[in-house]
Amino acid sequence: MALPCFSSLGVPKAAAAARGVTASGAPLRMAFLYVPNGVIMDKWRPQGTGADFKLNQSMKPLEKFKNDLQIIKGLEQASGWGNADGAGDHARGGATFLTGVRAKKTAGADIRLGISVDQLAANYIGSETRLRSLELSCDTVRKSGSCDAGYSCAYQYNISWRSPTQPMTPESNPRLVFERLFGAGSYKERQATLVERRAEKRSILDFVMDDAKAMERRLGRNDQQKLDEYLTGVREIEHRIQKAESFGPPPNPGVSAPEAGVPDNYLDHVRLLLDMQLLAFKTDQTRISTFLLGHELSNRTFPDLGVTESHHGLSHHGRKQEKMDKIAKIDAFYTEQLAYFLEQMKATEDVDGNSLLHNSMILWGSGLSDGNRHSHDDLPIVVAGNAGGKFRTGRHVDLGSDQPLNNLYMRMLQEIGATPDRIGDSTGVLAAV
Amino acid sequence: MYLLSEALSAMANLSEMNVLLVYRKVTTYAIWLLSGLVMANAQVHEAEFHEKIEPLLQDYCYDCHGDGSAKGDFSLDGFTNLTSHLQDHDLWQRVWSNVRTELMPPSDKRSQPAPEERRELIAWIERRVFRLDPENPDPGRVTIRRMNSVEYRNTIHDLLGVDFQVDDNFPPDDTGFGFDTIGDVLTISPLLMEKYLAAASEIAERCLPDDAGLPKPIEVDGSNFRGGRQSGRFMEANIKHTIGVKKRLDIAGRYNLGFSYSINSEGGHPEGQTATWRFLVDGEEQHRYELDSAKFERKTFEVELDLTQGEHRFECAIVPGEPGEGNGSAGVIVDKLLIEQSGVVGTWEMYPDSYKRIFFKGLPGNSEAERAAYMREIIERFARLAFRRPVDTDTVDRLSALGLAKAGPDKANFVDGVKLALAATLTSPRFLFRSEAQAEPNNPSRVVPLDEYALASRLSYFLWSSAPNEELLELAEKGLLRERLRAQVDHMLADQKAERLVTNFVGQWLQTRDLMNLDIDVRTILKERSRRNAERVFNDGIRRDLKSETERFFRYVLVENRPVLELLNADYSFLNENLANFYKVPDVKGREFRKVTFDEKVLGRGGLLGQGAFLVLTSHPTRTSPVNRGLFVLENFLGTPTPAAPPDVPELGDAKEKLDEGATMRQLMESHRAQALCMSCHRRMDPIGLALENFNAIGQWRDRADGNEIDSAGELVTGEGFSNVMELKSILATSRKQDFYRCLTEKMLTYALGRGVEYYDTLAINAIVSRLNQNQGRMRDLIYGIIESPPFQMRRGDGKRLLNKGPNTPSNKDSTQLD
Repeated sequence: MALPCFSSLGVPKAAAAARGVTASGAPLRMAFLYVPNGVIMDKWRPQGTGADFKLNQSMKPLEKFKNDLQIIKGLEQASGWGNADGAGDHARGGATFLTGVRAKKTAGADIRLGISVDQLAANYIGSETRLRSLELSCDTVRKSGSCDAGYSCAYQYNISWRSPTQPMTPESNPRLVFERLFGAGSYKERQATLVERRAEKRSILDFVMDDAKAMERRLGRNDQQKLDEYLTGVREIEHRIQKAESFGPPPNPGVSAPEAGVPDNYLDHVRLLLDMQLLAFKTDQTRISTFLLGHELSNRTFPDLGVTESHHGLSHHGRKQEKMDKIAKIDAFYTEQLAYFLEQMKATEDVDGNSLLHNSMILWGSGLSDGNRHSHDDLPIVVAGNAGGKFRTGRHVDLGSDQPLNNLYMRMLQEIGATPDRIGDSTGVLAAV
Repeated sequence: MYLLSEALSAMANLSEMNVLLVYRKVTTYAIWLLSGLVMANAQVHEAEFHEKIEPLLQDYCYDCHGDGSAKGDFSLDGFTNLTSHLQDHDLWQRVWSNVRTELMPPSDKRSQPAPEERRELIAWIERRVFRLDPENPDPGRVTIRRMNSVEYRNTIHDLLGVDFQVDDNFPPDDTGFGFDTIGDVLTISPLLMEKYLAAASEIAERCLPDDAGLPKPIEVDGSNFRGGRQSGRFMEANIKHTIGVKKRLDIAGRYNLGFSYSINSEGGHPEGQTATWRFLVDGEEQHRYELDSAKFERKTFEVELDLTQGEHRFECAIVPGEPGEGNGSAGVIVDKLLIEQSGVVGTWEMYPDSYKRIFFKGLPGNSEAERAAYMREIIERFARLAFRRPVDTDTVDRLSALGLAKAGPDKANFVDGVKLALAATLTSPRFLFRSEAQAEPNNPSRVVPLDEYALASRLSYFLWSSAPNEELLELAEKGLLRERLRAQVDHMLADQKAERLVTNFVGQWLQTRDLMNLDIDVRTILKERSRRNAERVFNDGIRRDLKSETERFFRYVLVENRPVLELLNADYSFLNENLANFYKVPDVKGREFRKVTFDEKVLGRGGLLGQGAFLVLTSHPTRTSPVNRGLFVLENFLGTPTPAAPPDVPELGDAKEKLDEGATMRQLMESHRAQALCMSCHRRMDPIGLALENFNAIGQWRDRADGNEIDSAGELVTGEGFSNVMELKSILATSRKQDFYRCLTEKMLTYALGRGVEYYDTLAINAIVSRLNQNQGRMRDLIYGIIESPPFQMRRGDGKRLLNKGPNTPSNKDSTQLD
């Protein structure tokens, strides 16, 4: 297999092993974009199936990319249903989305979920890039008070989970995302002090590692688990330093860092973060990203769309037309953001001459379908990108009966070369995409 | 049984506690030792079960969880041996928790237990199954807690005097049980770990800045050079003159002077005009320029000079040469003079406070040995504060080795070594986590009192959201903290830092933290088309004032030690003119907030229910929400939350269609409640919410809504009737008093401990509530009660606590240890 030329990205050839690459040797990326509170399915679901389908009202912004994506009907996250756990569908919707695991119902003690698909993927191909994975969110502040029906807020603000007990905190400040990818200060400054800073970091890490180990011996089980999170973090930084040495200095992204602070306008915020995600993929800083556009139960209002009521409030529309129309506007807003991202991905050429979009698997969806009824079946799911030529795009795929969303994740993992026996509640590998 | 003598000997062994302290401790614990000394026998229990409990279970539970059905794999009568059934802790804990939170029986079941029946079942489980034993309290276990970002910021500020902007750097914290202090959900992701490492270095850098002690650069604008009627704006070349400026230098040393000027003309452009321009310092020429009107240009130059301490004259002089031909004159525009140090050694007095806190004995000495010793002293002293307890020699050794390796033999690099050691300290888990190590950490029967350092930390993070100060650490060191506990608490509450308890606890309990960012559509609420008019009524200023009102109100109750019931039914609040106008309260002038007592002409104000913060936070962006308001009161004041609405609520369509468009909120709510499924919860929330309908969605009083007179009368589910919000408040403060005491206690205990309230806390909570009852419900008694309770004072090993085990005999090894 011919290795692609990575020199322009500052990636030595050795890093481009066979894991997580397309047939033509380009990196294969995956991104997961989460939209809260479900959608109005009647205005979302395409008409017609197979290659011959028409996009519905709230999907219109994606018209240009109709042939670059698949819409899949019949995927379910069954662990989202209440069963014995009762209320809390929003918390469960967000929590199960990427895990397919039932969240332990607790307001704070012993939170427990499962590892999410992006982190499974990172376990497999994370070593190929400087950053294992990227986690983004537009929620800069947390609401006070309790969250959904006895579930800790951790479940609804985190969709990416490193382990059953450790959520991957998302970053919401575009500037900080940039600095995490490429370092702080100007490109020149970043290069100048790199080695010295690395040595200092190392000596601090050695010290605190000893400290943590000494401490761990004296703690009880639960406390040890907390300290393990700390140790995982320390080891992760050590890995990053090692990688920085073997990969050489971070590439020059060619653009300057975004302004400090978080934009007031939600649209600007979403787009800046999508830009960062694009930049990360383009420069191959990571191949895995999750982006929580809004957390479940989000009460965001959309004054620019003429929607001043809260999203979640509206989602319990009681079939009132006026409210459903407003929700549809919000739904269209969210598909528009996907369209914005796909546009950039399609316009960017990858190392093998294809577009970035061609060499990606971009999943967009929600953990609820009908937000009014809190349904966890027939979820709205779009998969954009060709997975380097493996996905048959341009279709509305009807799976007939419901099957676990995790079966699709099994397929995505298979594409990057990971073949776990099962993940969460998966029952097989989805072939139909 | 935990005999008194055992308790005494255990306490006596604890450490160097003196006899007086032992008695004090015993009296503290005596509250917990009073009752329940009789071992009840199994037969009595079983008879009680058959007689009192079984009928309840039959009526309300067995439909789904008995008589052959086991919904959710849960059966209550599938036992063979009653004695062991009554000891099945796991099973009864599920019953206890679901019945208590009213998740069971499900709200769509028609037959619901009366509140007394619920209480009876709960109390029976606590007494007979959990065997809560006041003599042998289970203090529970607090998971090792990392600081949340608020605490991190405060701790850094209090330790080092550096203000580190956490919001711009750290991701927001996850919360549990409504608070951001919960150890179990305060995780450390790899991202956060990266941030901690970066923050530590940045803080060390800012604490010990490279330019510490150096004079700040002095910048002089050209227009400040003056002489007679002339200035540096334009020095005319046809007039001989000198202009200047005097500047004081604090330190003698070498300075770099940077000067910029340009040549131009005014009033015309003469040809062939010349002049000589000079720059002088203290009369000595430093630079000369031969001006020629043919050449307009911009010039800069730099000179290095040794200057003494004191005042110096910086001057520009111009002497005309050839007059030239034509109108006007050429001249020099003085742009800027910049005086920067180069190679100045600053004086210790000029170093920032943060520097002096670390270099507590002044600048480092000249010999390497002196500096090595100083490094140790600096580290030992700082690490004790940062780790909140004394540090062992090994740690000091390792940190100084780290620092000295970085510093090397060169004195100039010493501070870099200290910075690195500082950064390492601030990255250590001992700084980031509040750990309370104990012997046998995995033995849940091992109950130990906290050592005094750990207690000092619990106290300071509860009352100050920050690390213990020197005073607290000293008390802990001397073993005097428990002895002087109450005085110390008073002392701490009097400190400015106690304001953080107000903003953080109230900010989350009453959610005032969210007020500034809440989406509110004022135009729709006020039916006001003009955005400007709407914003004149409700704007960020009003939001700030509303937040401030609630915080000031709570602070007053805390500081003045008022009865906590005043939070519900006070006849006063804190207003400034802006807020008083918003509320339409007369005679409050000026920007200052002050206590305002309301007369009967001011409707609805006084107490949290009459405060805009609460009223706005519980509204939807475009209208009021009686459901939200009712629910908030149930959850946060009465401690009786209702379960969330079931998914797939049947649509209101039919009921609603029948009502005309002008239906009032009350009519809508009533149509809602008519459905059996909704009724059981909504009849609890709605009357409270409807009583508050006199306040619109931004918290202003109104008599009518949409043209209809507001009817705020109602009846609580517990039977008390009221005709308006004023009466509702007084009912809450009288007949629901016990619920409020309990609820507030639970909220504050959760905040203080950093864990949710569990079944084994019941006795502690009961004790605090009865203490409130005995002391007119004063705020201090709540705070003392929490601080003196077993869950705050003690801890136990991890794991499920085994029942029917003999009492523990604490030994001197039992107290938590230095970590």
